[in-house]
Amino acid sequence: MSDDLEQNSYNIFTAEFAACPHQTYEAMKSGCPVSRNAINQGPILTRHEDVMWALRHPEIFSSQMDLHLAIGTVRPMIPQQIDPPAQTKYRRILDPRFSRRRMLEIQDDVRASANDLIDRFIDDGRCEFDEAFAIPLPCISFLSLMGLPLEELDLFLELKDNIIRPQESAADPADAPRIRAETGQRIYAYFEQMIADRRANPTDDMMGYLVEVELEGAKLTNEEILDISYLLLLGGLDTVTATLGCNIAYLASNPDQRQRLVTNPELIPAAVEELLRYETPVMQIPRVLKQDVSIAGVELKAGELVTLMIGASNVDEAAFENAGVVDFDRERNVHVAFGAGPHRCLGSHLARMELRVGMEEWHRRIPQYEIQAGETPRYTPGIREVRYLPLVWNATP
Amino acid sequence: MKIGLDESLCVGHGRCYELAPDVFGEDEQGHCRLLVEDLGEDLVAQARRGADNCPERAITVEEN
Repeated sequence: MSDDLEQNSYNIFTAEFAACPHQTYEAMKSGCPVSRNAINQGPILTRHEDVMWALRHPEIFSSQMDLHLAIGTVRPMIPQQIDPPAQTKYRRILDPRFSRRRMLEIQDDVRASANDLIDRFIDDGRCEFDEAFAIPLPCISFLSLMGLPLEELDLFLELKDNIIRPQESAADPADAPRIRAETGQRIYAYFEQMIADRRANPTDDMMGYLVEVELEGAKLTNEEILDISYLLLLGGLDTVTATLGCNIAYLASNPDQRQRLVTNPELIPAAVEELLRYETPVMQIPRVLKQDVSIAGVELKAGELVTLMIGASNVDEAAFENAGVVDFDRERNVHVAFGAGPHRCLGSHLARMELRVGMEEWHRRIPQYEIQAGETPRYTPGIREVRYLPLVWNATP
Repeated sequence: MKIGLDESLCVGHGRCYELAPDVFGEDEQGHCRLLVEDLGEDLVAQARRGADNCPERAITVEEN
């Protein structure tokens, strides 16, 4: 058994895996249906069917695991780190604020932001895509949606990076837990002040909504609002950045596919879905087992920390025809890049709109681009942000 | 053709009303609601597309 375990064990928190996960996904799926996470020894599920089942059974695969995954918080984030039925109540008041209809109302603002950003560098004929476009676009949209001051963009980026990637700013990796804990306290303090401001001066933005909305006849407490805000900050500032980077890195390396989108921009919504499937920037979703359970004949134990490898399940041949081929004409695409079941990503409609608008404006303004010769994109471990993506194009002044 | 929706499975991915807007709409929560029950010939392909792309398999399209 021990040999099997070792062969079947993977370190999924490396820059190499983030840069090119597909070979590892294949290795995981070709062996035992349950792989092992080399860092915490927990099971990794990779088959689409198993991942879906886990996502739809929160009573067994629980999200309440703040003790396992410290990200600077002192309480679970709401609604991501709590289970139904409590989670369902919060989703009922949050989902309407993130509906597709509402997101379409702000798409003109996002389009204007995208063009403002592109104006800054288009004549240079080059940019580092992450800093120039992928980071600021979703961050500006998020701050405006929340009603937070745009001048504080850099502060928010620092807070977010300290929590998600403390290893990037820490000189000594051992400092990461301290950086996270301190940053967590700064986030709580910042939003505590915002809540006080909104209680004194009501607004119709997200922060204003959170202080006014009633849940079962009572307004939310400061703690509830803090635990929601913390999640919105981390979710709103990071994942779309990573997805834009993965998409453009793919298209820069696949000029035929890029040219198809330039010639046929109406394919962009389908391309967004297909690249979410194939690239899956958030590769994994953690859960903790509430009870023993048997998955594909493998016994999993209560208390184990499970990794749902949604990146692997999105290229499972059992669920997708020609799963390894990027096909913008794919007719059936049931990817789970935004998760599934009751925890389906709250911001998925915001993300889809930002991705579509960002891709439309980028390709309209900068149709021909490639990765700078001799350079290699650098991906961060964990969430696949393309932290270094130098692009060049012919500037026509 | 008849279309069915299992509301207990819908979690608001929104793929159906994005891809088949003449057959599916969205409620305030962003969950699916059916705009038609009996499908005319002209809507069958659209309805199938919406159903096929529901990650929760909450939608069925069947013969009457």
